[in-house]
Amino acid sequence: MRIVVAVKQVPDTSAEKTFDPQTKRLNRSSIENILNPFDEYAIEEALRLKETLGGDTTVTILTMAPQSGVDVVRKALGMGADNAAMLSDDAIGGSDTMSTAYLLALSLKHIGFDLVLCGTQSTDAINSIVPAAVAERLRIPALTYAKKLHVSGNSIEIQRETESGYWRVVAQLPALVSVTKGINEPRYPTLKGIMGAKKKEIAMLTLAGIGADAARIGDAGARTKVESFEVVGARARGEVFTASDPHEGARKIMDFLIAKKVI
Amino acid sequence: MKAVVALIEHEAGVVRRSGLELASKAADLAKELGAASAAIVLGPGANDAAQALKSTPIDTIYAGPDVPAERFLGDPVVDALDALLKRIGPCALLVPASNAGKDAGARVAVRLGAGVITEASDISVKDGALVVRSPKFGGSVMSSIVFVGCDYQVVVCRANSFTARDQAGKGEIVALAPPPERQYPARVEESVVQEAGKVPVEEASIIVSGGRGLGGPEHFDIIEALADALGGAVGASRAAVDAGWIPHAHQVGQTGKTVTPQLYIACGISGAIQHKVGMRSAGIIVAINKDGNAPIFEFCDLGVVGDLFGIVPELTKLVKERKGAA
Repeated sequence: MRIVVAVKQVPDTSAEKTFDPQTKRLNRSSIENILNPFDEYAIEEALRLKETLGGDTTVTILTMAPQSGVDVVRKALGMGADNAAMLSDDAIGGSDTMSTAYLLALSLKHIGFDLVLCGTQSTDAINSIVPAAVAERLRIPALTYAKKLHVSGNSIEIQRETESGYWRVVAQLPALVSVTKGINEPRYPTLKGIMGAKKKEIAMLTLAGIGADAARIGDAGARTKVESFEVVGARARGEVFTASDPHEGARKIMDFLIAKKVI
Repeated sequence: MKAVVALIEHEAGVVRRSGLELASKAADLAKELGAASAAIVLGPGANDAAQALKSTPIDTIYAGPDVPAERFLGDPVVDALDALLKRIGPCALLVPASNAGKDAGARVAVRLGAGVITEASDISVKDGALVVRSPKFGGSVMSSIVFVGCDYQVVVCRANSFTARDQAGKGEIVALAPPPERQYPARVEESVVQEAGKVPVEEASIIVSGGRGLGGPEHFDIIEALADALGGAVGASRAAVDAGWIPHAHQVGQTGKTVTPQLYIACGISGAIQHKVGMRSAGIIVAINKDGNAPIFEFCDLGVVGDLFGIVPELTKLVKERKGAA
């Protein structure tokens, strides 16, 4: 079985964000990038599936990023993925969510898959739109927000997170699954894994190679445009009160909530 | 643009609060654009939900009770939305930022060639077009985003961003014809309810959260009691989730949910940046922590330095007394 895990590099959340006032894009070069924490669960789940299923199961990492994205790919390979494919082109810059889904779907079609795994969201955009949009483009089941995953032969079963619990959902491969945090405990790359990752193949994909239409990507293809942005000021520090006993502390909060009319 | 359409979620016919918020916002935007306002409600119970929507300012309510939304994952809803929006013509679709709402918005956008804007905290009209305000990068930046050259526009709306108004519009209910009986590839074999009657953290207008300071899973009882008394949801920090004290669905923060309640009460949470990015957009933040130097005291509206095991139950008692007296 061919498993492809789609991953993304994201700016480290504890880093200071700066923006290019001309392009209205994040200055990604000034910030340390990390593997999107949500993607680690997808990689781990893929590796566990490979261990369970054995045979000729392979795990391929797919990413769309500037050249610097190779670092997160190496990390994923260090965790144990077999190989990787990377789509990197300056023309991709400025692509919006839907263009991203378009390019990922084309890349997936190009490299081939039985199962696509991804995180539910990225920590920089928190859109959670891309997984479902990619599945829709590929016309395969969109098994999103899975907190448990089981594959048996050609059949796949997930527990899909709902507001009050979960749905047990069954479908046939090929399919796309986005996994929630908590589905597993991602492993750390071992030293041996990191050394081995250097020898693993990273196939470079091109826009022409995957058959992408230039009019549908980058700034030209974007259906949304950031008009303006402003840095949100820090929340003002409010009153900090030291309670001498529990009742006094509770009373203080209660009076505050009443004054603010939230109760 | 011909219409602004709100996708309404409901629980067995009871409209979720997001539905009331979206219906009010759709009606306001439609009025400003000189377009029609509509709501679409699908699945068993849709007729009851449609009746309830008559008290919102929406003009047309499309009800599809026969759409098998509970038997297959996503597909029937996407098909129904796709068909209806094509019938209506160029329009904006507002969907709630729930798991199902985001999926439906993303997938129907692919089918219609729509643009999608997510995490909307406000939507306004400028020069006859929608302008969406959306916080980015953990709420450190507020962006204003517009659609470019697309007939269909999908906006994913954060909970608690719009005010639900009780003001009846035309409220004309239009029944959607039952879809042809068919099988879809992703079948729902079982629906398991684990937390009946609880408000999910991403939708709640009040959240009481517990962190490392609780010391163990058994102490989430006092958090839950306060949340219940306030009619809110239980949240948690990453430390509490990673320790296995509470399921991940409750986690607020960078690797959990981003929430925007009116009131957020953080109990025994230090307030690291990874937690802050998930809750900094809350209306009011109250923190209880025994460590007076905890970072959370730098960005809360009221901080109380003290013993949460004493303060939280006492506060629950005061809330109950007040609600009982009201």
